[in-house]
Amino acid sequence: MSADVAFIGRKFVLAEFPSADALLDGTRRMREKGHAKIDTHTPYPIHGLEAALGIKRVMIPTIVLGGAIMGVVSALAMMIYMNVIDFPLNVGNRPALAGPALIPITFELAVLLGGSSAFFGLLIGLLKFPEPYHPLFELEAFRRASIDGFFLSVEVPEAQNAEDVALQARELGANDTHIVVESER
Amino acid sequence: MSAPGHAQGNDAEVVLDPLDPRPFIEGKQTDKSLNDSLFRHVWIVPGKGWLALFTVALSMLGLLGLALGYTLYKGIGAWGNNNPVGWAFDIINFVWWIGIGHAGTLISAILLLFQQKWRTSINRFAEAMTLFAVMCALIFPIFHTGRPWFAAYWLMPYPSVQGIWPQFKSPLVWDVFAVSTYFTISLLFWYLGLIPDLAALRDSSTSKAKRTIYGMAAMGWRSSGRHWAEYKWSYLLLAGISTPLVLSVHTIVSFDFATSVLPGWHTTIFPPYFVAGAIFSGFAMVMTWMIPARHFLGLKHVVTMRHLENMCKVMLATGMMVSYGYIMEHFIAWYSGNQYESDMFFKVRWQGPFAPIFWLMVVCNVVTPQFFWFKKLRTSIVFMWFAALAINIGMWCERFNIIVTALHRDFLPASWGNYAPTWVDFCLFTGTIGLFSTLFLLFLKFVPAVAVTEIKELRHDTEHETHAAAAGGIHP
Repeated sequence: MSADVAFIGRKFVLAEFPSADALLDGTRRMREKGHAKIDTHTPYPIHGLEAALGIKRVMIPTIVLGGAIMGVVSALAMMIYMNVIDFPLNVGNRPALAGPALIPITFELAVLLGGSSAFFGLLIGLLKFPEPYHPLFELEAFRRASIDGFFLSVEVPEAQNAEDVALQARELGANDTHIVVESER
Repeated sequence: MSAPGHAQGNDAEVVLDPLDPRPFIEGKQTDKSLNDSLFRHVWIVPGKGWLALFTVALSMLGLLGLALGYTLYKGIGAWGNNNPVGWAFDIINFVWWIGIGHAGTLISAILLLFQQKWRTSINRFAEAMTLFAVMCALIFPIFHTGRPWFAAYWLMPYPSVQGIWPQFKSPLVWDVFAVSTYFTISLLFWYLGLIPDLAALRDSSTSKAKRTIYGMAAMGWRSSGRHWAEYKWSYLLLAGISTPLVLSVHTIVSFDFATSVLPGWHTTIFPPYFVAGAIFSGFAMVMTWMIPARHFLGLKHVVTMRHLENMCKVMLATGMMVSYGYIMEHFIAWYSGNQYESDMFFKVRWQGPFAPIFWLMVVCNVVTPQFFWFKKLRTSIVFMWFAALAINIGMWCERFNIIVTALHRDFLPASWGNYAPTWVDFCLFTGTIGLFSTLFLLFLKFVPAVAVTEIKELRHDTEHETHAAAAGGIHP
């Protein structure tokens, strides 16, 4: 980005709800009002959040399956290439390609790559972590999102007035609302 | 519709589990009160007890450095290993430590899949134990290679000048893959579970330095609902694949022995019996640490007597599986009609030079858990702590019995020998206990000892169920 382009920070409205149920209800109704970029922030996952946010499917199971299949394929390829094709060793006249002996390492590598893709696929692939800065972190109130607060955040498009969105959230039962604009770094 | 015994109005005490009404979280708690009470020990300056224990642990760790340095200087001859006892303290300690780690994965993964709510209070603790125990375990085989700086070349498949590859039909190579996978997956699972707690620590911190450090560790977690949706699945899937993993690891460790032809090793009961023994010893180790930790860190409201009692029950069950393993080994030794087998079990183990270790094992592993049949004893803190200690000792004796006792009397009397550990062996063993304790005490200081986020979630769910039950909507 060249320096002469003016920086336009993203605008967020953060609304605090008194309880998990109020948050679920508020989220669903905010979404029905047409706000596209909404998210909730709760200290622990709450039943029904996916439905309230309109999340249809999660990606992680597919990623893990891919990782596990890669583990199986790479383990078999490694063992068969090394012990059967490249350098077969005849020990006690046993077959070079012995099926049962391949099982443990095939299983372990499936677990290793499947498990690693569950971790890295989630944190780096889907969540784009590490992400040390997010505009919401600028709000002191947002600290409570990981402790005991139930929050709804709405990313407000540039054309829309954040105050209006905050008012809507309060009408839907939010106790308190904050507006934050991304600062230039 | 309301079930009898429930729902006599909103004020009535609602019993969710008719068999055991005791709650998993004691007292009237809120998210905030749990947050404060469970993080308290992270923020306060460590007390005298912690410092005293840490000093002891550090001195034992020093012993490890000394013993490892001496081993590198002198070579493996500094250990008591000889011919015919080529595997001794090193492999005993390896198997013992790996086994201890297994309780962590069992609690975090298997009990999660079985939806055992009591796991929440002890899983973080046990998972950390898994990591540290596996670290201790890995020291032994790596140093037993004699020149550990070459170990990676010998263990890992890489294209070497000689063109030789690892022999993938060898259980020892399977072991390399199993243990390294186990360590990696346990670490990832532990860290994934820790991220929301690290974020909560970041947000409860009072100074900028603490906020920055925990903030970096939390990687920017902002408790987002969209993130939670993926996170829950990721955690569940990791649990799902850790469950067969934990069973596979000790199975493969047992293959190191079971696939050989040595009497005392050549036994098909080994895989399940090793896994049961691993869980048995792991729970004993969790108990040994949990009892003092819940007292000194102020965790009694989340690690209740009900949790401790459940752990005693698991030890009773796994202890009986282990006892069944012992009985079966002896039965097969007799039933096979093989002279070498029956001599190994009925003469060498019962009456040989290491017979006291065999009988100590029987007392610790077979007799001790039987006392847990009595409610009075499995709710006595003092008794269960000493019983757990006895089981730790008993499980070490079991591995001694399997390894040294079987090796020192093989088929030919001409090749019989004897075994005595040296001071280096004892220092190495004590040293790994020091390493484990040091890491564990650091863990208890800097990271919440229980999974705070999961405890809050449990409290939230319990409250909801209670309300639903009070309204007559739920049937436990």
